[in-house]
Amino acid sequence: MFNYSRSTLALISLALIGGALAAPKKVDGYNSLGVVKGKAGGNMTLALGDSPQSLFYYGVIDNNLGLISQQLFDGLVEFNFSTYKIEPALAESWTISPDGKTYTFKLRQGVKWSDGQAFNADDVIFSYKNIIMNPEARAGDAGNFKLDGKDITIKKVDANTVQFNLPRAAPAFLLQQRYFIMPQHKLAKFSQDGGAKAADINNAWPTNVAPSEVVGTGPFKLASYTAGQKVSLVKNPNYWKVDASGTQLPYLNSLDFLIIRDPQAQVAQFLAGNLDQLNISGAQFPDLKSKEVAGAPFKVVRSTALFGSPPFLAYNFDAKDAGLSKLFGDARFRRAMQNAVDRDRIIDTVYNGLASLPGHGVAPVNTQWYTNTKAQLGKFDLAAAGKALDALGVKDTNGDGIRNVPGGKNLEFDLTYGTDSSVYPAIATILQSDFKKLGVQVNLKGVLSSKLLSTGLAGDYEAILAAFGDQPDPELRKPIWQPGGALYYWHRSTQPATDGGTPNLAKMAPWEKEIYNIFNSAATTTSASQRKALYTRWQLLFAQNLPVTPIAKPENIGAISNKYGNYIYNLGVIPGYNPVPLIYQK
Amino acid sequence: MLSYALRRILGMIPTLLLISVVCFIVIQLQPGSFLDQYLEDPRVTKETVATITRQLGLDQPLWVQYLTWIKGIVTEGNFGYSFANGRPVAELIWERLGWTVFLAVLTLMVSWLIAIPLGIYTALNRYGIGATITNFLGYISLAVPDFLVALLLIALVLSAGGTNVGGLFSPQYIGEPWSWAKVLDLLNHLWIPMIAIGLEGVAGLMRQMRASMLDVINQDYVRTARAKGLAGRAVLWRHAVRNAVNPLISLAGLSLPTLISGTIIASIVLNLPTIGPYLYDSLLNKDQYVAMTLLLFSALLLLIGNLLSDLALAWADPRIRFE
Repeated sequence: MFNYSRSTLALISLALIGGALAAPKKVDGYNSLGVVKGKAGGNMTLALGDSPQSLFYYGVIDNNLGLISQQLFDGLVEFNFSTYKIEPALAESWTISPDGKTYTFKLRQGVKWSDGQAFNADDVIFSYKNIIMNPEARAGDAGNFKLDGKDITIKKVDANTVQFNLPRAAPAFLLQQRYFIMPQHKLAKFSQDGGAKAADINNAWPTNVAPSEVVGTGPFKLASYTAGQKVSLVKNPNYWKVDASGTQLPYLNSLDFLIIRDPQAQVAQFLAGNLDQLNISGAQFPDLKSKEVAGAPFKVVRSTALFGSPPFLAYNFDAKDAGLSKLFGDARFRRAMQNAVDRDRIIDTVYNGLASLPGHGVAPVNTQWYTNTKAQLGKFDLAAAGKALDALGVKDTNGDGIRNVPGGKNLEFDLTYGTDSSVYPAIATILQSDFKKLGVQVNLKGVLSSKLLSTGLAGDYEAILAAFGDQPDPELRKPIWQPGGALYYWHRSTQPATDGGTPNLAKMAPWEKEIYNIFNSAATTTSASQRKALYTRWQLLFAQNLPVTPIAKPENIGAISNKYGNYIYNLGVIPGYNPVPLIYQK
Repeated sequence: MLSYALRRILGMIPTLLLISVVCFIVIQLQPGSFLDQYLEDPRVTKETVATITRQLGLDQPLWVQYLTWIKGIVTEGNFGYSFANGRPVAELIWERLGWTVFLAVLTLMVSWLIAIPLGIYTALNRYGIGATITNFLGYISLAVPDFLVALLLIALVLSAGGTNVGGLFSPQYIGEPWSWAKVLDLLNHLWIPMIAIGLEGVAGLMRQMRASMLDVINQDYVRTARAKGLAGRAVLWRHAVRNAVNPLISLAGLSLPTLISGTIIASIVLNLPTIGPYLYDSLLNKDQYVAMTLLLFSALLLLIGNLLSDLALAWADPRIRFE
C-alpha cells in the first residue's frame, strides 16, 4: 500500500511538471463544458448582495468581499472546473513526501502582481505566517494549521519554493491550500513582520483605501469603489493564465459589481439589462424561464450542485424534555419519522422541481466520495411510519388523535426554522401537516435564518430545520459530521469537557463511536482508496442512523445574457473556483 | 428668543443621554450576537469567535461597553466603530448621508409644493368634482405602502422596456465625474423614488392642509376681514392660509427623523444608497455602535426638528412669543 501511494504521487507530480514548464498556465480541456476560443474586450456587470465590508479578504468574514476577492487573488492550487480535481495555480507543481508529512510547492515563475512587482516565495511565506495562520486575523484560518495540538510549519526553501511540515499526515491539506496569497510589499506595514500588532492586519485596506493599494495576482484589479453602489474592476495586464491558443486571459476588459440588496430588485435589474449574470433561486426560475422561452435575450442555466447547503431536519438528542430526548436519540424513531418526510413533494413545490434527492454528508454529484444511499432514504409512506411508531410503543393512548410518548405525554415538539428564507417556511409547513396526519404534533417556531446555527449550538430547540454545505472532501466538514465535533449540535452531550479535548465517548451510541473513529482514521490515511472505503462506511452509517434527516439537494440556477460566451455556472464564493476569466463578450 | 433657543438646546443633553441608555438596552435585549451570522462559514472556528469577541470588546461587561462608547463621543467625538466594516461609525454614516439628505429634502419639497395647493383647493371646493377625485386619489395613496408603489413602478418601467429600474444612476455613470449626461440619467432615475416615497407624504399633508384650512375659513377673523371688504384673494392668502399652515410647520419638524428610518423598505426595493437600509442591517446583525449611533442621531434630529418648528412657528404666528 505504501509503495503504491508513493508511485502514484510520483506520477502525479511528474505529469504536473511536464505540463507546466512554461510560466503562464494554459487553461484548456473544457470543450465538454462548451468553452471555445473567445475574443478580448468588453465588460460584464454582476450583482453583489451588499457593500463589501472591507477590501482585505482576511480582515472580515464577508461573502460579498469574497466574490470580489475571487477576481483579485489566487491561491497555490485551484479546482478543475469540470472534475473538481486540484490543479496547479500559483504553485506550478508540488511534491508530497511518502509519509504524507512534507508538502513542497514549486512556485510558478514570472508571475507578477497587478502593480508589476514580482511574485515570489516571500509573498507566500508572508501570507501564511502573518495572515492565514495569524489567530488574530478575523477571516484567517489558524485553526487549520494545528494538528493534534501541534503546529504546521512553513519555510522558504528558495526564491521559488516553499515547504510545509505537518506533525502527521493530513490528506486534505492539499485541497485546503486554495488560500488567497497576498502581496507582502503592500501589507507588510500592517503585519507583525512589519512591527504592527497581530490584530492590526484586520485594519488593512478599509473600503476607502486607494484602489492602487489593493494589489493581487488575480485576473482583475480594483479600479474604484463607490460606497453602497458599485465596485469596478479592470483587467490585470499581468495575469498568468492564457487560453488554449495562447491568448492572455481574462478576455473581458472590465468587470463591475452593482450593489443590489433585494433579490427582486436584482431580477428587475437583470431583466432591464443592467446586470449580465445572476444566480437565482428555484422560486424565481419559472418566471425567468418563461421569459427566455418567449425570446428574451438571456438563458437560464441549471446545473447539479457540488457545493451548497442541503437542508436537513435535526432532532435534539439532548432535548430538555426527558421523554423527547430519549425518543429523539433512538435511531428507530428517526427512521420511522423519515417515512413521513415527503421529499418528492418538497422538491416539486418548494424547489419547483429544481432539486434532487440528497446524499448523506456528500453531494451525489461528488464522484470522488459519494456513495449511493438512495435506497436508505425510504419512501414517503405514512402508514409504514405509523406502524414503526406503534412498534416503538408510541401510540395514541388517550384517544385525542395525538400519539403519546411512552409514559403518557403527547408527542408534541417545536420545530425551529428560518422565517426569512425562501424555502424553510414552506418545508416546515409541509412537515408539520404530514406529521400531524401521523399523529405527531409539531409547533412551528420561527427565527431569523442567521440565528439558526447559534440556536442549534446553544441546544435551545427540540427539532430544527437547517442546512450545512457539502464540500469536495468530507474531511473539510469534520466539525459537522464527526460526533463530538464543534458543529455536531444535535447531540451536544458528546462535546468534550474542555475546548479541544477528547469528546465524551461515553455519551455516544455505538454507531456514533464508529463514525468518530472513521473520521479520525480518514484524517490521517494517505491512501485514497482506504479513505474512500472509510467514508463509504460513514455514509452508510449516516443513512442508516440519521443523525440528521437530509431533505433535498437544491440545484444551481444561473441566468446569463446572450451577449456572453463560455459561461460556466458561477458557484459563488468558492476559493479556487473562478471560471470568469474564460467568459468573453460576443 | 435667543435665550429660549439656548435653554432648549441645553435641555437636549440630558434627554439624549437618557435616549442613549434606552438605545443601548434595547439593542442588548435583542437575542444573539454580532458573530451569529458567521457561524455557518467553514472558515469560522470557535477560537475565531472568541478572538473576534475579544477584539470587539464584546467580552466586557455591558456597563463598561456603554461608558466607553459615551466617553468616546463626549471626549473625542468618536461614535465607536462598525464591527462589520472595522471603520469609525461617523465616517460610514457620513459616506451615506449625502444622498440621504438629497433625497429627503427633494421629496419633502416636492410633496409640500404639491400637497399645500391641493389641500387648499380641496378645502375651498369641498363638493366639487375635482376635489372629490383628488380626495379619492389621496385616500388610495395613503393606503398603499411606499414599497408597493415602488414595485409597481418598477414593473411598469420594465414592461415598457425601460432600464431605469432602481438605483439613482445607470451602471455606467456610477462613480463617473458629473456631466450633463449624468444629470439627465439621474433625473431619469429620480422620478421613481420621488413618486414612491413622496406620494404618501403628499396625501397626508394634503389631508392636513385641507382640515386646518376648513378650520380657519370659518373663524371670526376671516369673516371680519371679508366684512372689511378685503379682496377674496387677499383674505385667502394673508389671513386664512397663513394661519392654516401653522400645524404643518410643526409637522415638518417632526418629519426630520424620517431622513434615517422613514423609507427603509422603499430604499431596499429601489436600491437607493441611503442610510435606512444601513440601519436595518446594523440592527439585524447587532452591529451595535452603528445601530446606537443611528438611533441617537435620529432622536437628535427629532429634537432639532421640534426646536426648528417651534422657532418657525414663532416667526410665522405673531400670537406665539417666548418672552
